[in-house]
Amino acid sequence: MKKRNGIWFLVAALLLSLALAGCSSNSSSGTNDEKDNEKGTDTEETSSGGTLVFGRGGDSTSLDPAITTEGESFKVTKNIYETLIEFGEQDTEIQPGLATEWETSEDGLKHTLKLREGVKFHDGTDFNAEAVVFNFERWKAGNAEQFYYYNSQFGDKISEVKAVDDYTVEFTLNKPIAPFLKNLAMSPFGIASPAAIEKHGEKFLHNPVGTGPFVFKEYKANDRITLVKNEEYWQEGLPKLDEVIFRVIPENSARLNALATGEVDLIDGVNFSDIGQIEGNPDLQTFERPSLNVAYLGLTSTRGPLKDKKVRQALNHAVDKQALIDAFYAGAAEPAKNPMPSVVAGYNDDVVDYEYDPEKAKELLKEAGYEDGFEMELWAMPVPRPYMPDGQKVAEALQANFDAIGVKAKIVTYEWGTYLDKAKNGEADTFLLGWTGDNGDADNFLYVLLDQDSIGSNNYTYYENPEVHELLVKAQASADQAEREKLYKEAQVLIKEDAPWIPLVHSRPILAGKADITGFKPHPTGSDLLATVEFK
Amino acid sequence: MELSTQKDLQPPIMPAEEKAVSPWVEAWRSFRKNKLALIGTIIVLFFVLLAVFAPLIAPQGINEQVLSKRLQAPSGEHWFGTDDFGRDIFSRVVYGARISLWVGFLAVIGSIVVGCLLGVVAGYYGKWVDTIISRIFDIMLAFPSILLAIAIVAVLGPSLRNALIAIAVINIPNFGRLIRSRVLSVKQEEYIMAAKAIGMSNSRILFRHVLPNSMAPIIVQGTLAIATAIIECAALGFLGLGAEAPNPEWGKMLSDAKAYLIQAPWTMIFPGLAIMLTVLGFNLMGDGLRDALDPRMKN
Repeated sequence: MKKRNGIWFLVAALLLSLALAGCSSNSSSGTNDEKDNEKGTDTEETSSGGTLVFGRGGDSTSLDPAITTEGESFKVTKNIYETLIEFGEQDTEIQPGLATEWETSEDGLKHTLKLREGVKFHDGTDFNAEAVVFNFERWKAGNAEQFYYYNSQFGDKISEVKAVDDYTVEFTLNKPIAPFLKNLAMSPFGIASPAAIEKHGEKFLHNPVGTGPFVFKEYKANDRITLVKNEEYWQEGLPKLDEVIFRVIPENSARLNALATGEVDLIDGVNFSDIGQIEGNPDLQTFERPSLNVAYLGLTSTRGPLKDKKVRQALNHAVDKQALIDAFYAGAAEPAKNPMPSVVAGYNDDVVDYEYDPEKAKELLKEAGYEDGFEMELWAMPVPRPYMPDGQKVAEALQANFDAIGVKAKIVTYEWGTYLDKAKNGEADTFLLGWTGDNGDADNFLYVLLDQDSIGSNNYTYYENPEVHELLVKAQASADQAEREKLYKEAQVLIKEDAPWIPLVHSRPILAGKADITGFKPHPTGSDLLATVEFK
Repeated sequence: MELSTQKDLQPPIMPAEEKAVSPWVEAWRSFRKNKLALIGTIIVLFFVLLAVFAPLIAPQGINEQVLSKRLQAPSGEHWFGTDDFGRDIFSRVVYGARISLWVGFLAVIGSIVVGCLLGVVAGYYGKWVDTIISRIFDIMLAFPSILLAIAIVAVLGPSLRNALIAIAVINIPNFGRLIRSRVLSVKQEEYIMAAKAIGMSNSRILFRHVLPNSMAPIIVQGTLAIATAIIECAALGFLGLGAEAPNPEWGKMLSDAKAYLIQAPWTMIFPGLAIMLTVLGFNLMGDGLRDALDPRMKN
């Protein structure tokens, strides 16, 4: 009796520890068979280009890029729609798109664009100046709720869009917008077929019709979006693929598994810690997305000890960024000293970062009257982001950094939506967050994230400096690129001194794919054009 | 009075002993003969000493991160290896004993105190008081205990203290029911009738006679409950509802380690082993205590 009990308890204890360990395993089964079938039909078709299955973390919220702000949507629409101006292959320099050349008046108030001739929408209608005007009038007529990006980038600054002739469009502004052409290249401003918009009405967001290399075929919510080759595409020889399928696999490691088993061909959102495993597999390869992001710890300047600039500087001195990069980014990141990455024009490389120096940090705390440190909350994001794969871990490392200078940080987290709302309301002492640039312009980082006008939208730290504001607004309206860069450089010096953030890193997000994929060029904005992708 | 009370621990059918040996002494004698129980006790004592002398034993603090030395395999320098922050796992496991034992003891004492009060009241007064208290116990027992604990922590907010409270609460009905049934049977004993007859107050009867006579099963149940409490604490920690970073709670260590299961299995093995051993120790000890304290098991 006694002995048997002992054994039972031993067994029970073992089972319990196993059960604990098993609690978190994620299931990714149940989709293999389906995919096998798919592959089967592919080979039967014996088509030249083949099918690319792109695995990603989230579903599109809309197939009409104009009404969304969300990156997963742009990933798909980028391949259906084209913009008047395009970004470079792997940068944000402006290139001809649906417009072949452009001219800007001296005062920066008139932009004239020559359009490409002979381009047809997927429904067979012609692309011309009328279509462009139609799209802009549609966006203009809607409110910020409906067309967020149109309102934030152009708002009421565009007074008129006019078709001069069939292939010439003229934009008249009532105030210069320095990054006007760059804005035109943003995915939300893809030109859609007026006929289709009129035909589908409210259902247009599920029936996209553009001029891009791929034509929309099918949408299954939270599962897949299928695009097929645009046979009439204006660029000779493109696209190379016959079909592209965007699949949703939320969990990072499950998505990697799907790639390893051949269920998908290309994935984004790879854990940095998995890079070694992928590179050790001869069937797979990794791709690095050029960095256009910043991860930071916001120091809300309206809360407790953080009101004091010296305290914020002290916290800056306390963080060992290189150690973070080595431990959590597998080296695939640069330490950040400014609120924007170095590829953005106007980046101030002369700014000197607060070096990692706990002693100096303690001194600054002492000067500020917090010799014995203080307590604060440190918010960690609950979801992996391209700029920060594991917020919880980074938070724990920062916690130890702060502990070394006597600041006790309590790690707090909320569900993602709540997290953003609460941080936006200024409820966090310090919080982890980041930003991926939309158009590669400094305005899209500095003004959006740190101007006093942005308090209540994306300036979560409630940082307010009238001098910075003046510089940023001036730069926004200036047409002279050299002058703009000078203004942004000045702003970065002031921001560094005020230390509303601890800029942490600029990461190079990792994608992975089958070894035989060629021609895939990840774009810094996160929306990848798949026209040139092919299987060897 | 004291003597007679203790004597009554033995079933009334037994003839009076020739030598007046305290039943506790007798229990110890029987416990000593039980090898498994002794092993259990030694394991428990080992972990208790570990917890008490943690600062002397552990070579490092709980949160000394050396990010350049992350995920190192066990070596002379780091006996149990290092975790993903480059922290010494051995030190963290040693300090973790403090948390687990602390939660185990406190939670169980809490549930014993509250459970006993409710159980005694229910058993002694009976009628509608009994009905209400017993039905509440039934409702609580109808939940899977870990689910109830999760619900309680969700309401109070995740922290070690709230995990402790949750574990204490979910164990209350076990003790309450145990005491209630003891009280029901003790209540019928002649000496209680006698105490009543001479006009002793209810509370005096309860606390001088009824409760002391119900102690043995409480001790047994309590020891076993510590084992469960430690597992529940680890489970809550694993789910992110218990100890907060950087506290080295064993369940939380397991959960932090799960991403490195293949790459660095030692991050998971040692905290897991620590949980298993303490739980095993308490279970073996509790088992031995039950045998030793249960008069029916006497040969």
